This record gives sequence, structure tokens and C-alpha cells, in this order.
Amino acid sequence: MDIDDILAEVDGYTIPQETRDLQDLTRAWVTERSAPEILPWPAALMERVLERIRKQIELIEDQTSTADPKSSFKLIILQTELERFKFLIRSFLRSRLAKIDAYTLHHLTDPPTRARLSESEIQYATAHSTLLHRHYYSSFLGQFPEALRRLDDRQGGVDMVEGPDLEKAVFVRGLGGPGGEAVEVEVEGTDIGFRMGRGDVWVVRWGAVRGAVGRGEAELI
Amino acid sequence: MYGDLGTKLVQHAKRTQALAHLPPYQTEIVRALTREVRDLDKDVNTILAPYAGSFNPSSEPATACSVLVNHLCMRRNKRCLLAYHRVRAEKMEEMCWRGEDVMEEQLPKGNGEGTSMGEGGSSEKSSLSPEEEEYVRQFGDLLSAYKGQWTDIDLTGSLEPPRDLFIDVRVLKDAGEIQTEYGAITLTKNSQFYVRQGDVERLIAQGYLQKLS
Repeated sequence: MDIDDILAEVDGYTIPQETRDLQDLTRAWVTERSAPEILPWPAALMERVLERIRKQIELIEDQTSTADPKSSFKLIILQTELERFKFLIRSFLRSRLAKIDAYTLHHLTDPPTRARLSESEIQYATAHSTLLHRHYYSSFLGQFPEALRRLDDRQGGVDMVEGPDLEKAVFVRGLGGPGGEAVEVEVEGTDIGFRMGRGDVWVVRWGAVRGAVGRGEAELI
Repeated sequence: MYGDLGTKLVQHAKRTQALAHLPPYQTEIVRALTREVRDLDKDVNTILAPYAGSFNPSSEPATACSVLVNHLCMRRNKRCLLAYHRVRAEKMEEMCWRGEDVMEEQLPKGNGEGTSMGEGGSSEKSSLSPEEEEYVRQFGDLLSAYKGQWTDIDLTGSLEPPRDLFIDVRVLKDAGEIQTEYGAITLTKNSQFYVRQGDVERLIAQGYLQKLS
């Protein structure tokens, strides 16, 4: 039994916002790491968590300056917690950036995908792809014939803009519908469907469960 | 032969993926490939010139075929070049993320240990092309700009989940004095400290300190 199981069992309505945020952040991090495509940017959640981290840092700095030996044990706990939060966010951001870097042009040109990025991620992606293009251009593309200089060429049967593989297999655990009942999952393009109850673990194509994950009826593991 | 150089370049790229450092930039091959593309393009133009834009592929299958082969070769060369540069760019980005000084790392370390430290290095030949050096510089700027929005998080920090707040480190190279929340520590070679991980992460990445498990 790991922390996710414990978190999953807790009823979402009676626990305080802080705990729920941690649970959401952990879930967002796990999902982001295992999903093949980028997921919507959790703006509200990030804002709350960052705000709390800021406060916590202030608190720690405040208490360190008073340097009371009795409070130092509490401080260590606070700092450890802080480091863990920072790690979660860092890893979360980095895995998003890794996806953005792998398919920069796809993320910038495909409107639904682009809408999932945060403001600063779009800036980063735009700047990065400009840089790369300029680098290619000055290295060799500049001397190419006019017609071959593009990076988003779709001629010759090969699309130069590559996207993530949405049919990759993922491990998923059912969380149940609003009342905890099993939910129906249809695999798109086939006549296969299955019922996913709370706590069930499946290996399925990402494309089949992305809707359920988005609605919070299932989580990736 | 068409395509031979492209294959060579892709093989270089493949090898680069497995190496810890960047091998020298293949200026010659890249230049020859670009020249090949330009020659092919010229060929296509000379072949098509007498038709003055009214070329009908079905009436002249032989000519159409040679034009097609030339076109495919050009596209393939372009793909090979793109792949080669992309692999190298990714490698350089990875180094930027780890906080290494890419320019310094890439100088060939031929003349013994110890002497290579701290030299300007402009006299030695770097394994990066001038364009790549420019790219690294700009990517570094981009990275610090993006990182600047996340000052509390320290994006380039360790991606290992933190276990302990404090760790044992051994000093491998003199690093001078550092400031921590618990006062200043002077890091002299071969000494050992019990410090907060967040304070020394960068020094570990740069090779000044070694983490003891």
C-alpha cells in the first residue's frame, strides 16, 4: 500500500483544501509522467501550491533567524516537507518541458494541444523552436534550394511535424464515477468496451481512457 | 553514391547518443551533403528546363523517374542533416540543464590532467561548430529566462526524490567559502561535511563535491 492508495481512499469532501491540493498535485505529477501527451495546465492548483510554498519559505526564514534550539526540530520537518513539494513541482514541470521539447512544433501548431500549455510554456516553446530553426538554418538549411527550407513540410507523404503516440499503453486505476460506481469505457475505433470499477487496474491504450482520466474517473499509475 | 554521406552522418548521430560527451562536429560531411543537395537541385532544374514548366510526367516516364529520384535524395539528405543536428542539439541542451559549462566541457583533454583547468581555451579547437556555440549560448539564456519564473523551485535541481534534508559530502576540489542558513562553511579539499542538500546541489553537479551514501 503506498501513499496513492491512502489518498485515494480518503473521501474528497471532508478533507481540507491543503491535503486535497497535495493529492491533486501528486496525481497530476504521476499522470503527467505516464501519459504520452501533454495534459491541461492546472493553473489554479499551481497558484495555490506556489503561494503556500512562498509562505512556507518565509516562515522558515523567519524562524531560522530567531534560532531557538527547540524549534529546530520542527524546522527540519518543515524544510523536508518543503523540499518534497519542490521536488514534485520540479519533476512535474520538467516532464512537461520534456514533452514540449520532443514535439515542439506539434504543440505550437495544434490548437487543442496548444490550449493545454501555460503562458510561460508557450513562450518557452516558441523561443526554443525559433532557436532551433535558426540553428538549422545557419548550419545548412540556408544553403538549400528555396523549396526545401521548411521544417513543417507535408509533401512527399511524410509529415515533418510529429506528434506523440496517443495509442501507447498505460496502466490505469479506476476511481469510479461520482457515486463510486463502475464506469463504462469504450475503446475508440473498435467495438470493445469494458467496465472499470473503483480500484480496478487495467493496461489499455491511452486514447481509450484519456476521457475518463480527464473526468477524474480513473488515474494513471 | 547518393546517400552515402547521409548514412555516415546518421551513424555519427547514433554513436553520439551513446557517448557521454560530444564528438567533434563533422563539418566536412555536412558541407559535402549540402553541396550534394545543391547539385541535385541544379540537375533537376537542367532536366526540367527544356519543358518550360509544362512537364507532363506520364508522357515522359524516364525523365519523371530521374527527377523523382533526385527529389527523394534531396529530402533524405535533409532528414539526415536534421537528425544529426537535432541529436547534437539535444545533447547540448541536456548539458545546459545539468548546469555544465558546455563550451569548457567540449575542449579535447589531451595534454594531461590538471593543466586543462581554468584555461581560456580559445587556442584549442572545440568540438562544437560556431553555429552550435551560438545555439548553446542562446539556449542557456532561454533556460535561465524560463527558470527565472520559478525561483522558489530551482528547476535545474535534482530529479531524484529527496530522502534526507541533510547529506554527507566529501570535497573533491577546493571550492572556497559558501554561505548557508547555518553560517559559512569553508570547503577545502578532502574534508567532509554534513550539509543541507539544497545548499550544495549545484556544487555536486559541477563536480566540486561528492555525495556519500
